[in-house]
Amino acid sequence: MSADPGIKGPKRDEVVAVSHRDLKVRVRIAGKGPAIVYFHPAAGLYWDRFLDRLAEDYTVYAPEMPGTTPGDPYAIYKVDSYYDLLLIYEEVLRKLGLQGAIAIGQSMGGMVACDLAAFYVDLFGKLVPLGPCGLWRDDAPSGIPDLYTSPPQQMAGFLFHDPRTAPGAIEMMTPPSDPEIFPMFVAQITWVQGCAAKFLWPFPDYGLRKRLGRIQIPTLILWGENDRVTPAKHAEDFHTLIANSAIKIYPQCGHILQMEKIEEALADIKRFIA
Amino acid sequence: MKVLAFQQLAYRHLPPGFSEKYTCVVTPPYFELVEAGKMHEAHVHFLDEMMHAARVGFDGLGVTEHSQAAYDILPNPNLLLAALAYGTQAEGLKPALACVGRSLGKSKEPLRVAEEFSVIDQISGGRMIAGFPISLSYDSNQNQGIPPIETRPRFAENLALIERALREEKPFPFNGQFSKHPYVNIWPRPVQRKLPIWAPAVGNPVTLKGILERDQVFLYPGWFGPRQAGSAVFKRYWGMAEEMGRDANPYRLAFLQTVAVGETDAEAHREYGPHIENGFRNAFGAMPPSSLSLPGYHDIKGVEILARNPADFGLVPKMKTIKYSELVDAQCAIVGSAETVADQLIELVRDFRIGSLLLMTQMGSMPTGLVKKNMSLIAQRVMPKLKQAWRDSGFESQGWKHKWWPASLS
Repeated sequence: MSADPGIKGPKRDEVVAVSHRDLKVRVRIAGKGPAIVYFHPAAGLYWDRFLDRLAEDYTVYAPEMPGTTPGDPYAIYKVDSYYDLLLIYEEVLRKLGLQGAIAIGQSMGGMVACDLAAFYVDLFGKLVPLGPCGLWRDDAPSGIPDLYTSPPQQMAGFLFHDPRTAPGAIEMMTPPSDPEIFPMFVAQITWVQGCAAKFLWPFPDYGLRKRLGRIQIPTLILWGENDRVTPAKHAEDFHTLIANSAIKIYPQCGHILQMEKIEEALADIKRFIA
Repeated sequence: MKVLAFQQLAYRHLPPGFSEKYTCVVTPPYFELVEAGKMHEAHVHFLDEMMHAARVGFDGLGVTEHSQAAYDILPNPNLLLAALAYGTQAEGLKPALACVGRSLGKSKEPLRVAEEFSVIDQISGGRMIAGFPISLSYDSNQNQGIPPIETRPRFAENLALIERALREEKPFPFNGQFSKHPYVNIWPRPVQRKLPIWAPAVGNPVTLKGILERDQVFLYPGWFGPRQAGSAVFKRYWGMAEEMGRDANPYRLAFLQTVAVGETDAEAHREYGPHIENGFRNAFGAMPPSSLSLPGYHDIKGVEILARNPADFGLVPKMKTIKYSELVDAQCAIVGSAETVADQLIELVRDFRIGSLLLMTQMGSMPTGLVKKNMSLIAQRVMPKLKQAWRDSGFESQGWKHKWWPASLS
């Protein structure tokens, strides 16, 4: 996504080699304090103001899904399946010594964070899924197919309740105007979504519903009431199935709640993880 | 050279303004758009017309595969090709039967494709030409639910399995990423020990490289203007062939072109024009661009190339409201008297070293009587000129052999 001059961004990187395959995962890092692991959504790691603000009090580790790191697009072909992806993330976190960290994940990243917490029950200390995907409901189908096939000019309307008022949304959705950079930008953002679609398309349903009950750690579920990608009806299912969970649904808010309701989300998350 | 009749099975009664109101793929509402009797009629007319093409002397008949589409209702082209295999066999006709083809990027049962081709080859006594496109994004990803980034790996694996299933004499185990079979041993095998393969593709260098490596025919569809969109593709293809050490055999290149022939230029434009305009608008004009390239379907380098060179799309962005005159000017359709049409086709054949032509003889709302007239005039008046021009071109005296024509017909 385009650069927002108001964003400080990551300060350093760790590159973790994954065993038994020629694969390296880049982890972007900023801040100091207790560890937060942030799992990015389908559009890739966009280091936004939300992460900047978390990095004021915490060390934010943001692993990039294989294939989404610029310059290493074909790493995605070294990941066989969604479960393979989970194994890779677990190994990366273990090698960075991040057991007990707070996990925050948005959309696809929320699903990944929940599944890691379900498979490896001691991996995280607390869990904060933001509009996670991972469940299916016949009465509220996933918006992923419509999101992926909507024309670029309609994308902002899919992601935000009102992109005009969501802080940073316009900057994030505006492609670079430089005609030299534009094709590379389009190729990268398209490829990143393609990598994510390996695990999301057509529906991100790998049986998480049956695993949510394994999660015992304190969990705060945050959602946008007007989410068109993962409908807010899914929020109650997460809440019901994760025993030790609290839930908050923001009105007048779409899928990217950490941008659209940044102040409320930061306050709620910091209170929860303090 | 070889000249084949190619058809898609369009629903010919879409309402006026269809392309403005509907998409033609994935979600067009069937019961709102279709009259039951007319859909039946479309299928019967399709078969009637292809039989007519065989009777008037086309060298072959060609079909392809699209699901959940209003412009080409052939979810499994082998069903209709099997009917044509028997129909032609029963009348003693011997056209090649080209399924160009089965889309392997979407196929979840690739062995079934190998089995069906074998059955058609058996019914027809060895007249089958096989074709394996990757598959359009909407078809593999939206219709079949294949993750876009898996389309090409699935294509490659399925193709390898099918080629091996047709080739191997003994049962073998196949342990693929997308399908696993403890014993592959299809019955029947084709009559032809090696099926000729023509691969439809739009010019992606990665795809062309695979076609040349496998020594298959590259079939290029000229729907978007053979000179505006196609010339760069043809140049790229022959350049790559040379680099990769392949010979310049013109039979390596097949070209698909919409053609309509009348007694005179004026008559042809008058009779066919409205149907051709209707066909292009309702097919290519009603396909949402996003449905042709879901994220991950094209390689990252391919997306960058396309973003840098929007002209590669030819007339695609205008298709929704394109005018007939624009289609003719760009040669998206070659229309006129036999002389006019033959002259334009001969130029293309010579300029681009085309060995086989698939002539699309029906478009959009074109009624069956007009389709048959078109086929008859092509066979009687255009094909002789093409074959004479081929002999005159020097291609024949250079001794090129069609290595990709059914063995039983060579």
